[in-house]
Amino acid sequence: MTLRSRSRRLAFAALTAVFTAGVAACSYNPNTIFGAHSDLGHATDRLTYRLLYFGIGVGVFVWGLLIYAIFRFRARPKSPVPKQIHGNTAIEITWTLIPAAILAILAVPTVRTIFQTQAPAPANSLQVEVIGHQWWWEFRYPQYNVVTANELYLPVGRPVNFTLKSADVIHSFWIPQLAGAKRDVVTNHTNYLWFTPESTFAWNGFCAEYCGDSHANMHFKVFTQPQAEFDAWIAHQKTGPAFPANPSDTTNAPAAPAAQPATATVALTSQQLTVAPSAQQLTAAAAAGPATGIYPASNIPDYVIPNTPPPAGLTFSDVKGDPARGLKLFRSGPCLACHTIQGVSPGVIGPNLTHVGSRYTIAGAMYPNDIKHLELWIKNAPLMKPGVIMPAFGKSPNLPGGMTDQQIADIAAYLSSLK
Amino acid sequence: MATTAATLTRAGAATGYKGGVWSWLTTVDHKRIGQLYLYTSLAFFLIGGLEAEIIRTQLYGPNGTIVSAQTYNELFTMHGLTMIFLAIMPMTAALWNFLVPLQIGARDVAFPRLNAFSYWVFLLGGLFINTGWLLHAAPNGGWFGYAPLSTRAYSPGLHMDFYVVGLQIVGLSSLAASFNFIATIINMRAPGMHMMRMPVFTWATFVNQFLMALSFPIVTVAITFLLFDRFFGTTFYENAAGADPLLWQHLFWLFGHPEVYILILPSFGLVSEVIPTFSRKPLFGYPVMVYSLMLIATLGFGVWAHHMFAVGMGPIADSVFGITTMLIAIPTGVKIFNWLGTVWGGQLRFTTAMLFALGLVGLFTIGGISGVMHSSPPSDLAQTDSYFIVAHFHYVLFGGSMMGLFAGIYYYFPKITGRLMNEALGKVHFWGTFIGMNLTFFPMHFSGLDGMPRRIYRYEAYQGWTTANHLSTIGAYILGLATLVFIYNFLRSRSAGKVSGPNPWGAPTLEWSMPSPPPDYNFAKLPHVTSRYPMWEGKSAEQIAAEPVVKRWEPGTPGATEDPVPTAEQLGIPMPTPTIKPLIAALGLTVAFIGLMAGKSLPIMILGGLIFVGALYGWLLTPVEPEVEGH
Repeated sequence: MTLRSRSRRLAFAALTAVFTAGVAACSYNPNTIFGAHSDLGHATDRLTYRLLYFGIGVGVFVWGLLIYAIFRFRARPKSPVPKQIHGNTAIEITWTLIPAAILAILAVPTVRTIFQTQAPAPANSLQVEVIGHQWWWEFRYPQYNVVTANELYLPVGRPVNFTLKSADVIHSFWIPQLAGAKRDVVTNHTNYLWFTPESTFAWNGFCAEYCGDSHANMHFKVFTQPQAEFDAWIAHQKTGPAFPANPSDTTNAPAAPAAQPATATVALTSQQLTVAPSAQQLTAAAAAGPATGIYPASNIPDYVIPNTPPPAGLTFSDVKGDPARGLKLFRSGPCLACHTIQGVSPGVIGPNLTHVGSRYTIAGAMYPNDIKHLELWIKNAPLMKPGVIMPAFGKSPNLPGGMTDQQIADIAAYLSSLK
Repeated sequence: MATTAATLTRAGAATGYKGGVWSWLTTVDHKRIGQLYLYTSLAFFLIGGLEAEIIRTQLYGPNGTIVSAQTYNELFTMHGLTMIFLAIMPMTAALWNFLVPLQIGARDVAFPRLNAFSYWVFLLGGLFINTGWLLHAAPNGGWFGYAPLSTRAYSPGLHMDFYVVGLQIVGLSSLAASFNFIATIINMRAPGMHMMRMPVFTWATFVNQFLMALSFPIVTVAITFLLFDRFFGTTFYENAAGADPLLWQHLFWLFGHPEVYILILPSFGLVSEVIPTFSRKPLFGYPVMVYSLMLIATLGFGVWAHHMFAVGMGPIADSVFGITTMLIAIPTGVKIFNWLGTVWGGQLRFTTAMLFALGLVGLFTIGGISGVMHSSPPSDLAQTDSYFIVAHFHYVLFGGSMMGLFAGIYYYFPKITGRLMNEALGKVHFWGTFIGMNLTFFPMHFSGLDGMPRRIYRYEAYQGWTTANHLSTIGAYILGLATLVFIYNFLRSRSAGKVSGPNPWGAPTLEWSMPSPPPDYNFAKLPHVTSRYPMWEGKSAEQIAAEPVVKRWEPGTPGATEDPVPTAEQLGIPMPTPTIKPLIAALGLTVAFIGLMAGKSLPIMILGGLIFVGALYGWLLTPVEPEVEGH
């Protein structure tokens, strides 16, 4: 008897603990699917709340009956003899029809919302092409000829239509606090997802479909900005890299950014500049702040800043890199086979690095973008991110011909300068 | 194993079995095969549970480093495969093997050797998949094995080879079993055992066999495609050849959703036995309970694409599959209410079996409700692939299937062994499981709605997920401890449990009319059945209410037979000859598949094939019994 009552008390205490902790956990939920800041989020919310309320109602009802029955009908010395009832048609029909009615109440708005949210995107939508890669995100803005990676910039108030494609396996594109809903990125298929962001802020994005070793590390960040800032960002992205391709050796720099008239022209119109900007001017513009449209670091909440600890045992000596030497190494080394830097290198296997210095994160938004993490990344990417295609480049017993820490620091310094 | 046989004999009635390992390797008796399934599935349940504990330890806090990304991915893949194919399914098979012939009044199943073959194929398939661990190449593409991730281009090495080949082997076992039990239930019922008099567990088993017979061929085709892609260079799922990866998803879930019902229906059947017994009332609305089983199974084939709402099927397909999925909630809800109707006005006796059965009613309801939540595609797009789904299906599979199976094991343990499990330890197990399971899985609703994706080996700090994960991990440890209490109780009660007598619960169905454990021939004289509840037949409501729950059987307890149980020989009942051939056939099959894995070694494959065909010939050319008996 004591065992039974003690275990019952324990059960009650545990359930209370679960409930309290659940409520406590709810008080801090920066990635919640509820209250997502877009029209799609509101549509999803309305349906989910309706399902949740009916669900809780049914659950409380069934548990109420169950608990009542357990206490009321427990066998006692003077319990009445159970009537040998085999069923009751009227009752059984009732408890078939009532759930059916509840489901009808849920089905109608379900179908309405399906057709509403899967309608074609409005004609004035910003088009963004999302390409899932193992394990990073490529974002293309075909209307502006801009390509970037892992950090998505969107204007508020304008519908954005995502065209979702995969370069390898199936991924899933999910920004819980902005869209609520997700959409799979399916190989050899094109999927769509559209919504209108409502608030300016920084948001977490995740890959939601299991896609191999580093599925857990396939994040991205979304920055929503007023239209003007977004325009500035686009204009800045359209320019070439901020760092001159090879300032000390002009004969060897045929593809310097200023020599690209097409991009410069568009930059002119949107930035209202009167003369074609030189690379140095662009660098200065980037340093000046708002004109680049880069989302301000001070407005990024801590949960959007990656805080993955680098792997234990991966060290880097305390050397200072030189960006000019870094550029030379970049151009002569293996980097260009996989990475595009506009006017410098053509690779398309890895993320486009033209403005990598202006990003807040690296490695599929796994690490913060600072010199220290860049150096570690170049030195030994597979150790930093399981399964990654990018090989280790740092000199080690396994790789005697690898780069020295000084060489890596130079490349990191160069990449960091690409604002 | 030898001690088990001896124990059985000591426990109560004589069973007529010979002891020794060889007798277990050659057995074709459904009760012994049922026990083999039971022990094996419990062993795999412990392995799958250990995998879960490592997963939960890794996820206790942010940036867990207990295991690497690859090991974690292997762990969650193997946890799913093990629990679904090697623990829950064979545990249901254990109970229906043991019970169905007893519940319908038959001497054995229709094809006893095929039954043995099913078991051995399952055992070897299970060992085969787990061999991956020993070679550091366990499957790592998820139990759902989505192409193209599972193709050779993205999953080189042996990992997913173990998946395709292992599932192929295990699937054969289920197919063989399904035909066997369909034949048994249709043909071998005792006189008077009309279909609508069958115990609901037999009904659930019957419906289940159709689900297996119809769904496993689909996954067999899907896996054969993948196997050919991986081993012979076909391009069913190859990206580069322009394959449509949704082919795999449609085929897999066309199997995978019926599979969900394959896992739950036997548990529904078990609690439909347990609840009436301990309420001292017949099951409320028996016909509706039977029809709802059939309806759930039928609708179960029309809802598969609700696993795929995010893949972009278009608004019409989304609407249709959303509505069919909602429809399934109706027959399922009816079952819940009918169990409540059975309890209502009863005289409830809270044995451990009854606690687990009522646990299923409550916990499955929670899983059912979250299921309805993601039957609505726009809402599902927010929930799918998040921990909300993990919470949902663990309420269905642990709160449903496992609670029902635990109820069934406590309830039928005395029939299987002749002894009772310890009730005090049973209650510790129940409360530990109930608390641990809720503490593990309820917070996952929150972590999921708070945006935590599934199948991640690590998560970052400050995401709002840490508290929920702390709780889940603590819950998982409580669940693990409770399971150890169960295993101890289970193993110890086989020899140290109180003698149960034939019907310790005052239960109404046919299997409780025979000695515990039943003799090898089951029924000395085939019974003539005249009602749904033979053991309650002709008794007044007062008498039924007065049926005691036996704490320890003493000779002279009402309803007990004190006569010594005669042997088959004395009764002149011909028994099937034990034979090693089903095991050899299963071995041959496995060897052939090992040849495929070992660099497509033709000699090994041919050797395996020859062993298989040879054993099959030997098996077909020897009669089942020494002399043919006409039924």
